[in-house]
Amino acid sequence: MLGHDLDLKAVVDRDVDIKYPGGAELLAFSDAVLGSDVAQLDRARDALANALSPAAVAGASIIAASFTKNDRVANGTGIPAEPRMIEGAADIREMLGLWNFRSAVNTARHLPEGTR
Amino acid sequence: MSFYADSKYPVREDVAELHAEQFNRLGAPGTWGTAAQRIAIVNEARKAGYEAGVVEKPDNAGAEPDVPLPEVVKRVVHRMALAPKDMNQDFYNDAISDGLADVEYVEILGLLARFTCFDVFARGIGVPLRPMPEPQSGEPSQERPAEAVQEKAWVPTIPAGPDGGEFGLALFGPWQPYIMRGISLVPDEYRQHHALEEVQYMPSKNFMEFDYQHHEGLSRPQAEIVASRVSVLNECFY
Repeated sequence: MLGHDLDLKAVVDRDVDIKYPGGAELLAFSDAVLGSDVAQLDRARDALANALSPAAVAGASIIAASFTKNDRVANGTGIPAEPRMIEGAADIREMLGLWNFRSAVNTARHLPEGTR
Repeated sequence: MSFYADSKYPVREDVAELHAEQFNRLGAPGTWGTAAQRIAIVNEARKAGYEAGVVEKPDNAGAEPDVPLPEVVKRVVHRMALAPKDMNQDFYNDAISDGLADVEYVEILGLLARFTCFDVFARGIGVPLRPMPEPQSGEPSQERPAEAVQEKAWVPTIPAGPDGGEFGLALFGPWQPYIMRGISLVPDEYRQHHALEEVQYMPSKNFMEFDYQHHEGLSRPQAEIVASRVSVLNECFY
């Protein structure tokens, strides 16, 4: 991705090394900001600021906030992913096991039978 | 003074201004709920969050209007606030069967999604949750868009393109993805979500520029790492 290799499996499996600058700290921060351990969040915030910058903490926070908003809209309205989104990332969705998510049925029910 | 002046991390001014504006607007009536009802709904979600330990109660939580919420509303609020991966069609159908109107469901979902967003952001940068505004009097506008139809979501939506009519074209422009149109049954919620996306994620005109960096200190790939992990935790296939 943009000159760096990264291992996307790290997004679903935290034991995998994402191999991207700041990636491990960003994943840990994402887990902590949605979690219930305040001390863990404090550590993750400090680690991210040290690994990238204080500005990255604000940036990562607003991205986490924005996507937890969008996830609620998507899962709560039952919208399907658009065909162009499915076609463009079918291999990634398979590799990451996203079809196992409960919300995948909102897309699967609109696909022609046998297409996945 | 910035809405996040107490943050030790630098917050974009457009983010701070928009969050302040949307907190202020919560003090006014919505489309289907009064101001007091809407604030009570956000407070109910926060209360669930305090009990679950995923947000911390601030010293100043702001207004706490004494408005009784129906059981179906409480049930919906708790699921939306704490278990976004468990929202399925049965959950929606049960809410409708138990007396919630589709427009009310969409307004509550849009409202809680936005205020969960604000609370997650505050937690991320290590500042207390911002206080609720005082509720103003007034009645909800109760404007249901005639253009909304049953497309592929559980809830009615306004179609993109010509099928959405002049209202849809004015609201969306030539096209919007489902992730934005999902709450278009309540156009004011759509407008507020769209405004947030433009400053929080990135301006939509830059979406296909994969080297575009919207946030200081966070490259596009780094932003996508956070976005992907959060969506995995919330089990969002979209």
